[in-house]
Amino acid sequence: MIRLLLLLLCATPAMAHEASMGVLQFREVRPGSYVGGWTLEPTMGAARVQLQLPGQCRLDLPSLECGPRGLVGRVSIGNLGADMSAVLIRLVPLGGEPRSYTLTSASPVVSILGAGTPGWEAWAEVARTYVNIGIDHILLGADHLLFVLGLIWIVRGGWTLVRTITAFTLGHSVSLAAAAYGVLGVPERPLNACIALSIVFVGVEIVKLQRGEAGMTARYPWAIALGFGLVHGIGFAGALSALGIERALLLPALLSFNIGVEIGQLGFVLLVLALIAAHRRLRATLPGWAAAAPAYAIGTVAAFWFVGRVARMVAA
Amino acid sequence: MKRVLCVLAFAAACRPAEAHIVASRLGDFYAGALHPLTGLEDALLWVVLCVLAGTQNVARARWLVVLFPAGLLAGFAAGTAFGALDIAVADAGFMVLLGGLLAGAVRLPGPALGALAVLLGVMRGVANAAGAAADTNLPLFAAGLALAGYAAITLVTAGTEAFRDNALGWRMITLRAAGSWVAAIGLMAGGYALRAV
Repeated sequence: MIRLLLLLLCATPAMAHEASMGVLQFREVRPGSYVGGWTLEPTMGAARVQLQLPGQCRLDLPSLECGPRGLVGRVSIGNLGADMSAVLIRLVPLGGEPRSYTLTSASPVVSILGAGTPGWEAWAEVARTYVNIGIDHILLGADHLLFVLGLIWIVRGGWTLVRTITAFTLGHSVSLAAAAYGVLGVPERPLNACIALSIVFVGVEIVKLQRGEAGMTARYPWAIALGFGLVHGIGFAGALSALGIERALLLPALLSFNIGVEIGQLGFVLLVLALIAAHRRLRATLPGWAAAAPAYAIGTVAAFWFVGRVARMVAA
Repeated sequence: MKRVLCVLAFAAACRPAEAHIVASRLGDFYAGALHPLTGLEDALLWVVLCVLAGTQNVARARWLVVLFPAGLLAGFAAGTAFGALDIAVADAGFMVLLGGLLAGAVRLPGPALGALAVLLGVMRGVANAAGAAADTNLPLFAAGLALAGYAAITLVTAGTEAFRDNALGWRMITLRAAGSWVAAIGLMAGGYALRAV
């Protein structure tokens, strides 16, 4: 345990790899003509960004000429990746609300809509983009996955697990929608600390269960999953709001993002269940003296996150 | 048969560049976990080891759940410290050895099976170390690789054990035939690797 703690204390923020991002802004000065440039240049240099604009547009910074159709169509960046993680494109149309589009390595293409009603291609593009972002978000969200792992550990399987995971899904979907529409707002730092604390709670519940005590989660798993699902959902919304989605596209983006999260979560649950079944088949179980080790590992990692997040909150 | 061909075609079609696409999209942990899919050597050798373990006594096979990922980690550490080696001939030799043992339905003692798993893990760990770029987060990449090894050995060994565990003799014959194919592929790969020597 002491070694594990030492190992955790040795972990440095450098492990969180953060590539640079850029912000490109254009203001429409007359119909189809824009003026703008990089308000935040990526560290790799603006000249190296492989920006592809719709065919009717001609870019010669600071000028962008798109003719009578305007800046409508597919915009992509060919070299998003380790050196440049994301680019935010901000458009300020004549007499309209500013619009923002985020391109990432997961979604390097966006469809910019005109003033009229968007067609099915635009909706399909939004769905494809945000399903991918949802999958990426859950796969990269070690804290969310660790919480789900803890729930599976306590509930084990059967219909109780289906009900528990459904309750977690319901919880985070409701709070994600509420937070995305601005009905619910929680500051990011305390929220992240709460998410870490929810995993510590599940770790303690696993230890209790192994000692033969039926804790809250063992007795009412769906209620615990629903409650903490609400907390985790607000965290998902934070990731979504950081992408700067156009208001008209918020509902399909939200639905697609949630579908992506569910796809990733379902894949993780199925993998864990398959591994549990395989361990049973091979009779490969931990010896009695080490049976509680995974619960302590989950709790220790989550406690480390909690302390780190609270420290950042206090320091801010 | 069609499924096997599809899987082989998919594995053969993967290019090393795809690992770096994974790294830029999902980070170094997933790059490490998916890196073994970028070459046929890993996929084939891992699967044949798992199938061989699945045809042995469960009490012996279950140790591989720990030993194989540990071998991968040790090999990865050695590969990053001392540089990756060209092990094409050793890969081919392992294909012949493991395929031959499977085809012959050889019952291995526990320590021998464990030693094979560790040795293969170390070899493939060294080979996978070549997939880590200069800016790769090595602990994350190694964790992904070891976790992929653990998941593969656990799932495929248990799957093989479940597949052969019935009264139908043809299932074991199928596995042994697959072993002979792997041994044959190993012979061809060995000849190809040795032609330049």
